[in-house]
This record gives sequence, C-alpha cells and structure tokens, in this order.
Amino acid sequence: MRPNFFHHLHPPTIPAKQARWRYTLGAGGTAIFLCLVLVVTGALEMFYYVPTPAEAALSIQTLSYLVPFGGLIRNLHFWAAQLLVVVSAVHLARVVFTGAYAPPRRFNYLLGLALFVFVLLLDFTGYILRWDTGIQWALVVGVNLVHSIPWAGETLHRMLVGGAQPGSATLLRFYAWHIFGLMLPALIATAWHAFRLRRDGGIAVPPPRQRHTPERISRFELVRREAAAVLFASAALLLLALLSPAPSAAPISDITALTGEVRAPWFFLWVQQMLQWGSPFFWGVLVPLLVLALLALLPYALPLPVSGELGRWFPRSNRAAQILLAVLALVVLVLTLLALRPPA
Amino acid sequence: MDRLSRRDFLKLLRQVLLALSAALGLGMLARFFSRQEATSRPTEFDLGPASAYPVGSRTILPEVPAVLLHTPEGFTALSLVCTHLGCTLEENQDGFNCPCHGSRFGEDGSLRGGPATRGLDTLRLEQKDDRLLLYTD
Amino acid sequence: MTRRLLLLGSAFLLIALGLAWGLEARHPEPVALTPSLTGYVEYCITCHADLPVISPSHPVETFGCVLCHGGERLALEADLAHSSMRGGGNPSALDVVEESCGGETCHGGTADDERDHIQRVQTSIQVTYTGAITSLRYTFGAQPDLLPFYGVSAVTDTSLPSHTGILQLLAFDPAMESSPALQAFGQNCLTCHIGGLPAAGEQYQRLSGCVACHSPASGEQQVHTLTTSLSYTQCNACHNRGNYDLRSMTFVERSDQAQTRLQEYYQPIAQFTRCEYTLDCVDCHTRTEAMGDGDLHASKADSQYIQCQTCHGTPSALPLTRTLSDPDDIAFRLAFLTPVVDLQLGDTILITEQGEPLWNTLVLPDGTYQLVGKATRQFFSFRPVLGSDCTQTGLDQSSASCHACHAMDR
Repeated sequence: MRPNFFHHLHPPTIPAKQARWRYTLGAGGTAIFLCLVLVVTGALEMFYYVPTPAEAALSIQTLSYLVPFGGLIRNLHFWAAQLLVVVSAVHLARVVFTGAYAPPRRFNYLLGLALFVFVLLLDFTGYILRWDTGIQWALVVGVNLVHSIPWAGETLHRMLVGGAQPGSATLLRFYAWHIFGLMLPALIATAWHAFRLRRDGGIAVPPPRQRHTPERISRFELVRREAAAVLFASAALLLLALLSPAPSAAPISDITALTGEVRAPWFFLWVQQMLQWGSPFFWGVLVPLLVLALLALLPYALPLPVSGELGRWFPRSNRAAQILLAVLALVVLVLTLLALRPPA
Repeated sequence: MDRLSRRDFLKLLRQVLLALSAALGLGMLARFFSRQEATSRPTEFDLGPASAYPVGSRTILPEVPAVLLHTPEGFTALSLVCTHLGCTLEENQDGFNCPCHGSRFGEDGSLRGGPATRGLDTLRLEQKDDRLLLYTD
Repeated sequence: MTRRLLLLGSAFLLIALGLAWGLEARHPEPVALTPSLTGYVEYCITCHADLPVISPSHPVETFGCVLCHGGERLALEADLAHSSMRGGGNPSALDVVEESCGGETCHGGTADDERDHIQRVQTSIQVTYTGAITSLRYTFGAQPDLLPFYGVSAVTDTSLPSHTGILQLLAFDPAMESSPALQAFGQNCLTCHIGGLPAAGEQYQRLSGCVACHSPASGEQQVHTLTTSLSYTQCNACHNRGNYDLRSMTFVERSDQAQTRLQEYYQPIAQFTRCEYTLDCVDCHTRTEAMGDGDLHASKADSQYIQCQTCHGTPSALPLTRTLSDPDDIAFRLAFLTPVVDLQLGDTILITEQGEPLWNTLVLPDGTYQLVGKATRQFFSFRPVLGSDCTQTGLDQSSASCHACHAMDR
C-alpha cells in the first residue's frame, strides 16, 4: 500500500529489537495518545464549562449529570490527565534507565523535561478550574507559594491572581493558561520533541556493528503496532472512566472559609509534605526546582552510556545517572506516602 | 462469490468493528451536543384585570411582544414576532411592519407584503377570575 | 501477530463503547423542578419522587427542595448532591434554622406581622432550659440565688423591650463547674431541650429544631411532614417520659407499659382531669407558652400561664372572650393553618389572660362553650364554672385545687 500521513511520520524501518514493547514500554507513544484524548475531551468540555466563580462548579455538575455522556467526557479527561503524569514519569525513567539521553539526544531530553513540567502545570491549572471546596486549599497555597519568591514573587502573584484575592479574575486567567497559555508552548514543544526524535535517529540503538540482530520492522508494521496500542489504550481508558468517576465537591461559596479536604493534588503531595518542614520558598519552590535542575543536569554532569550499551535496559556505563533518578523517584514516592498519612 | 481468504475476512471483520465503534462514537457526540438549556424567558404573562381593556381597544404589550385586541367578539392576542425571521414588529398607520426585511402586516395580523409568507400568530388567552393571562407557548 | 492484536483491540474498543452506551441508558432520566420562589432548576426529585409533600403551606412547586435543605441542585450523585445540605437531613436544627426557615417573609420576620417564630423559639424556655440549669446551679451552690444567667446556648433577646428584663443568657459549660453533680447534669441531662437529641436507644426518639414538635414521628423515623395538628405523642417525646434522680443525677425512664391513651398520656404519678387527657396539649397550651413570646424567661413557671380558669372561668367570673370583628385577626390565620373548624367574622371565641386567641373554641348562643381538638377533630361542649355546683372559692387556682374533685382514676 502507499504510505499515508501516519506512515510518513515514522522512519522507513527501525531495528526490530528496540521496537519491542518491553524495550520502550510504548510510554512515549502512549503519552502522545493521552495528549490527543485530552485535547479532544477538553474541547468538548468547553461547550459546557463556564469559567466564572458562580457558575464553574455548577457547570461541571451540569456536564457530569445532565449532559448525555458528559460525565464520560469529563472522566476521560480526568483519567487521561492523571495517567499522562504517570506515563510521562515512566517515559522519563525508561529514557534514563536505557541511556537514551546520550548525545545527540541531550537537547531532546531537556525538551522532554520541559514537557513534563508543562504536563504538571496543565494538570494543576485544570484542577483549579473545578472551583469547588476540594481545590480551595491548593489554590490558596499555590498562589501564596508564588508570592514567597523573593523579588519577583509579588509581581508573579499579581499576574497569576489578577486581583487582591483569588476570585473571578484568577479563575479566568487559570482558564486562559490551561486552554491556551500552556497549551500552545506545550504543543510546540511536543512537535519539536517528535521532530528531534526523528532527526536524532529515532529510538536509541547500539551502532550497527554492535547490534545482536539485523532484523528490522517496516513503518507499516510500526504504525500497525501503534494503532493496536491506541485501540487497547482507548478501551482501557473508557473502562476506567466508566467505572471510576472524576472527583467533585460543593462549589466554593467563600474563598476565605476553608471547608473541605486539606490536601494538595496527588502529584504535589510530596511538596505538601516538605512544606511542613519550614520556609515555604525553600521547600515549596527551591527544592522542587533543585530536583528539576538535577534531572536537567543528568546528561551533562554524569557519565554517559557508551554507544555499545545502548538499546537495552540498565547499561552499566551510566549507572550513576540511573541511581540518581532512582533516588529522586524514591524520595518523591516516600514524601508522597508520608503526606498521605491521616493527620495525628 | 469468491471465497474470502482468512486474512481478508479478519481484515473485513476488523473494519466492521471499527466502523461500528465510529458509529457509536459519533452517536455519543450527537447526544452530547443535544442538551438544551432551560429557557429563562417567561411564557405566561398576567395582563391584569380584563376590565382594563375596553371594547375597541388595541393595546401593545412590548414585554411579550404582542398586541391585545378587544373586539365585540372578544379578546384576541396577536404575536408581534415577525413570521419571517423573528424580529419584533413596529406599529404603523394601518398595521405593523418589520424593520429587518420589510414584511408588512395588517391590523388584524393578516399578511400584506414582504418576504414573510404567513400572517401573525395568535397567542392563547385565558381568563382566570377577572385576570387575563397570555401564553406564548 | 500485530494484525490479530488490531482485531482484538477493535473488539475491545467496541465493547467499551457499548458498555458506555449501556450505562448511559441505565441512568435515570433527570426530573427537573423549577420552584417559583427561586427560579433555579433542581433535580432532587429524580431520586426522591416518592417523598410526600411536606405540608399544604409548603408546596414543592413553589419552594422546591433546595430552598430549605440546601444541597447541590444539579448533582445526580448522592454524595455530592447531599454534601452541602444544611443540618444533614434536618434543616430545622437550631444551628442552621435561620438559613433554612428564616427570612423576613418566612419564619424570621418581625413580631408585628407575627413572623418571628425563629426568634421566639430561640429565646423560649424549651430551648434555653434556663429554669432547670439555674435551679440546679442554685441547689448545688454554684450561684447564691435563682437569677438566670445560663442557658444551653448563648442567646440574646433582640426583640426589645423585654417584659422580663432578662437581656441575655450565657452558654452553660459543665466543664467550668466545680460541682461534680453539675458536671454529671451536663453529661446526662441536657438532651431535654429542643436543640438537643435523645440518646440512642431511648424509648422516645425525635429530631431537634422545629421538627422536634412539628414533624410527627412514626416509630423510629420522623416523617417528612410539617404540621400544626400536634397530638400529645409529639409532646411526650420529652414530657411524661420519667423523672430525674437528683442524687445520682440520672434520668429514670417510666417503666409502665401503657396500652391506652389514658395510660400513655401521663406518668403513673400524675393527677389529671378528663379534659387533660382527652384533649391534646396544644388544644389548651398556647403558642407563646410552647414557642416563647420573644422574651427570655427565667423558668417554666414564668412562661406557662394557662389554667383551668382560662376556659372555664371561676365561680365568680366568666372566662374572657373576644368577638372576631377584624378580618386580619391572628385567630383566622391560625384557624386556616389547622383547618378543623370554620371560623367566621362575628364569632366569639375564648381568649387567654394575655389576649391570645383560643381559636379552636366557640361561645355558643346559649352560653355554653364548644372546643374542637386540633389533632383529634373531636367536638366537646362544656359550661363555665359560674352558676355550677362548684364548691371552690376561686381564689386558689393551682391545678391541685380543681383536681381535688375532678381528677381521674387511671
């Protein structure tokens, strides 16, 4: 058959060994699929969501209970977003544990990190759009954390909140960030990330002479595999959305009266735990930025994998980087679990 | 008919399944967009005591919009929504005209000219105790 | 291999989509209700369609559900829909009653148009429990006199001037008391006020707030009904249940097994006449006695004033009456709310010493009187004491004086 658009997005052939699920886990591709689901379901939600404090939570209730399949669209959007965080983390781990960030892929690695940050920010801004008692804590703490940044903090806070207190201007701005302000750079970064992937030679593989098998698969077979993954992922996502609804709470009636659960969104629980230890700027802004900096420096400061060891899991030559990532992941995990303990 | 090879049968089956999925998906989309917001415009108007509108009177009710006529035969309410594309009619010497595309109607609501193709709609009136009630639904 | 996976994936996707359609079809069709008082659509009756209309004065087409109960009017999932309900299932609980039942045009208005129910109840003796608290503090030496300082909750008389001179009460806090008896009192005995709830497992169960009286209980459950036709069983949720033992500071529930109204009405130790058990409490006891008159009172003795003479007069005087000449007389509104009798302009009814209309009574042309039971709808006719064979002087108006001859045998 003549190759179509999707076929042309891929190289004519790729090495069979690295094309296997158990090498890449399909994490990057799944992430792109989830992004597509998010854009489509998000666009559909825009037909019903109203970004004003009085109407936001009510419009979400209308969507969830009174619009046919509205609840399904919302749940799909929610689960795709949470799974995207997990899948992106898995993808990052895979890239580090297979040494796939080695030159010429280092810039693409940074692009990927930036995308991860965009994903977290998009998740957070979307969370705030609920404007119900469940997100109140996160909104207040989030904007105050920004305020705690020295010098630039007050300006950034004003830009974020749009007024003296979180209110209708804040909601509208978060809406604009979520739909457009973050989406546009994320889109550009995604396209660039995909382009760099092609230009850097696709999935990281050992040099030809050090490959164990010369077997390759065609772009047609690759697209078929991806299509199969999309079908299974769609079915799984649908089942998840049908069986487990997205969270909801009563609308915010008074932004200063903190009712409801006092908990950060799950992907920031590790930060909430650290904030119990002292200075908000240090623990809430600096330390997370430090984690990001460590991840960004990983391909530059630590020993790189040798090209012969590429294309498989846990090469010996970049062990230090693997250990660093494992330690960071473990720390974040432990902090998250600590934050989940019931209050004394 | 040539016998289908196993591969072609499976391919056909796959395409049928995908087509059905697409149909279900499109159906979901259509139903998703089908929701109607409850109307906020009132459909019942209390016009007050019937004695306020003597025989021979012709009262414009701008909030409906409609005109209430009291002839010797009784009360009639005509909608002042143009039957062409919905603009509100204006009163003139011998009836009503529409500022949007020029349709003209007589005092009794009959069509006199213009792109509209039918006369003015009659609205339902009810009398409860002494009060006149006008319904637009 | 991949082709087989594609086929399997297509099948799974179709199944998932089919499941989505199936689950959607099983959702109950949302049933909308736009109450005329709020104009906002609500969907509560999608699930609660079989709930009875609460009262003729609160039709659901006018009030809806959310105006009184709160809650999320658009949600069709129980936890979210009920999450912002006031007072749980009871919006008349005293901590939320102002929001639920208040407002100038409802039950939180002024005394002039007789719409100050909430303010009157919150200052009434049945809510403040001041008499019991004060006398116990005096008994156990926490205060030197019987001046009222404490109520179950802090409350201020906002409808000045006050006829009793008591302008505010502080909240009684058993933890601040040094006497162990008073602490025990705080632990064991504070269920008997309208803001409190009886302990689980007690013989009589009721909810707190307005519905403590105005919502009839059916066994363990209170029914979704508001009524002014209160049978004595409503009052017996607190009254005639037993006695306090001040030494052990416990409440001893009555142990008799009552079979008839006569046996159930009062405790075995009580004395009562025939009308005191044939009629319901509300047939004699007035609105201000039960719900308060807007002023803080020191004790029940201070606020309860109905006596036998109110209806029967004394050997030397007829009971007070009023001929209804004003169509805005409160008597007509009360008769309308509890429709057991057809009161007309020109009718003469009995009134209390404080001018409250006993609207369920009637002075008949032949000089006898008629009373209709508000809950039983039974008609009774009776005569004044004046001109009868009563041997009392009329100076002693305590109930024991009339009971001396007229008390019933249980």
